[in-house]
Amino acid sequence: MLSRAASSLFWMARYLERAESQARQLDVSLKMALIDVPEDRTEQLSVPLLVSGTYDDFFQHHDEITPQNLIDFLLLDDQHPASVFNYIRNARDNALHVRGNLSADVWETINRAWLDLKVLQKEGVTESNASSVFDWIRERSHMFRGAAYGTLLRNDAFHFLRLGTIIERADTTARVLDIRHVMAMKSMEEQATQSFFEWTALLNSLAAFEAYQNTYGHSLDPTSVPELLILSHELPRSLHSCLEEIAGLLDRVESGSAQRARRMASSLYANIRFGDTDYIEERGLHDYLVDFLARIQRIAGQIQKDYMGWHQ
Amino acid sequence: MLIETPDAGLFDELFDADNRVRPHCRMLENWLLESDENLIAEKRREADVLFQRLGITFNVYGEDQGADRLIPFDLIPRVISASDWHKLQAGLRQRVTALNRFLHDIYHNYEIVKAGVISAEQVFANSQYQPGMQNLKLPRNLYSHIAGIDLIRNNDGDFYVLEDNLRCPSGVSYMLENRRMMMRLFPELFAHSPVAPVEHYPNLLGETLRAASLQANPTVVVLTPGRFNSAYFEHAFLARQMGVELVEGADLFVHQNKVYMKTTIGPQQVDVIYRRVDDDFLDPLAGNPSSMLGVPGLYAAYRTGNVVLANAMGTGIADDKSIYPYVPDMIRFYLGEEPILKNVPTWQCRKKKDLHYVLDHLPELVVKETQGAGGYGMLIGPKASKKELETFRGLLKAHPEDYIAQPTLSLSTCPTFVDEGVAPRHLDLRPFVLSGKKIQMVPGGLTRVALKKGSLVVNSSQGGGTKDTWVLEDDLC
Repeated sequence: MLSRAASSLFWMARYLERAESQARQLDVSLKMALIDVPEDRTEQLSVPLLVSGTYDDFFQHHDEITPQNLIDFLLLDDQHPASVFNYIRNARDNALHVRGNLSADVWETINRAWLDLKVLQKEGVTESNASSVFDWIRERSHMFRGAAYGTLLRNDAFHFLRLGTIIERADTTARVLDIRHVMAMKSMEEQATQSFFEWTALLNSLAAFEAYQNTYGHSLDPTSVPELLILSHELPRSLHSCLEEIAGLLDRVESGSAQRARRMASSLYANIRFGDTDYIEERGLHDYLVDFLARIQRIAGQIQKDYMGWHQ
Repeated sequence: MLIETPDAGLFDELFDADNRVRPHCRMLENWLLESDENLIAEKRREADVLFQRLGITFNVYGEDQGADRLIPFDLIPRVISASDWHKLQAGLRQRVTALNRFLHDIYHNYEIVKAGVISAEQVFANSQYQPGMQNLKLPRNLYSHIAGIDLIRNNDGDFYVLEDNLRCPSGVSYMLENRRMMMRLFPELFAHSPVAPVEHYPNLLGETLRAASLQANPTVVVLTPGRFNSAYFEHAFLARQMGVELVEGADLFVHQNKVYMKTTIGPQQVDVIYRRVDDDFLDPLAGNPSSMLGVPGLYAAYRTGNVVLANAMGTGIADDKSIYPYVPDMIRFYLGEEPILKNVPTWQCRKKKDLHYVLDHLPELVVKETQGAGGYGMLIGPKASKKELETFRGLLKAHPEDYIAQPTLSLSTCPTFVDEGVAPRHLDLRPFVLSGKKIQMVPGGLTRVALKKGSLVVNSSQGGGTKDTWVLEDDLC
């Protein structure tokens, strides 16, 4: 397939996944801010900014973090690249670029999300209707995936689209775990009742709360949560699942002489597949995740070099 | 709903001169009379939403880029009887055959010029003539693989060819989407009407493009100027429907006179390019040097015969308005047949006598630039102000060779939904003719309708809309 099309499909899927994930982060943070003690509210609300790497940017536009400011900035701000509005706009632009490779169903799902979002932006979103907007964004993302699974040929167009989704997802899981794990640990030391909510928030941010209960069926603890989010081969957002799919997709993608991205992904996958909690604890969770993030970013860069490198 | 009857003296597609419904349109009339206004209004809104969702929008040149606008879609189909279509089809086949023969001739043996049918000056001094195409052998001697012929029906009830589009005619996606929309909104209408299908157009197009190369299994691509082009939706639509890659200039490169596309597994050779980019922009080395849309070296590859362009380069000479008056003679010259479709009588302002007549009768004529398109740069005498008439008088005197004039034809009308209800509006018809191993077309075309009362300009850039076009398989209903 065309290198440009592969690149557009990859980014289209990344942006949509990022939109979904940002909606989840916002949803959880706003809810947590309601039950948190006032002095911790700001920390709670800053999580989505930290995950999206826009903490400093935010303060160039706003003086303090309030729920409404956060909604304005990360949801509908068309001037700022890390808003859900712009993620969906970018996804739609990329989709338009590869109209020829998308089924009508996939295209219409994305185009419709964009059209509806423009209306939503005009009407405005406040704290009181924010939850339903987050639900709506999650639903769009599910519809996109459903349309892609249900109507696209399993050819390289599909593989590159999935790579975009999964690489973004792996990146998000690692970032959220890194940030929220520290917060949960801190609350365990300070006030035990609050810590339950912190662990729940971490799991909910990654749609993993019910999965945790199913898998462990006991109270939340600092070792089991990272174990689930990193090593579980069953949880769709775990690093293990993501890498398994990335390595598998790169194996299936038709490739000429390019092998580097494939090799890098297989190596990282093997690392996680045969890893255990002892190893992670030895290294320290934070260092482990920082290393993981660097490696997943290198894989993403190498995919672009190997298959979409005509643009450089 | 009430249907406003047409103005006397105009040909209406639904009513005859005595305001009786034409027999082949009876089911349509029944449907209109039975339909409730509110229901129709609701269906119109539904159509708008669906078109938006599909992304069938276009950009108007001169407006903000990315300002997506819908071409208004009118729910009342335009019906063409089986017998009318039969004649149209034969006429289109004949005309496009002659035009392709003409193109081959003027780039090879010049027989039509030698025979004195057209003057050498009019062919070779025409800016659309591409000397670079001389003696280039094209597969099957085909130049215009995809032609869109604009027809109107005059008040005498006959179809006239208004214009041949032999370069990159667009609009076929509207023909297809309009049909899909009608079937979705009013399935019951189709259950009772013998409407001929048009859905197989992309199949025929794919067949035509593969036949444009002499290779057994050629790689075909659609070349688009990109997503800011007004017809991008159509380019993507056709590529998807044919299952071929949609490429932009930057996706292609030329190496040793062969064209390749840049794929995830390396270069892949391209054999046929269905290009929706104008001649001038195809190759910055040969045409417009500042073009970012084209592929450097494409022209050389084309000259070497390593790639087929559909349509060929240099077809613009045959649809130029200064050549248009000669098409009936071409048919006689190449085919030895009488033209089946009529031409609109045309005064060529380059001729002194004609110019004189035009200047004397300006208020009753339509004046067009020989190289204008899209309804820009034309004068409609009867609707023009004094000032506009004077401006054109000046232009005609200064550059008579740039203009032709035609009588103001009364385009036929068809009932159309407008703010006031259902009223007659003027329309034209663009069928698409495909030339490959044989000439093929689907029964139908794009019907454009001028939505303003009395307006004769149907172009979408000037506020025109479109309708579904029904060719009946059988008139006995």
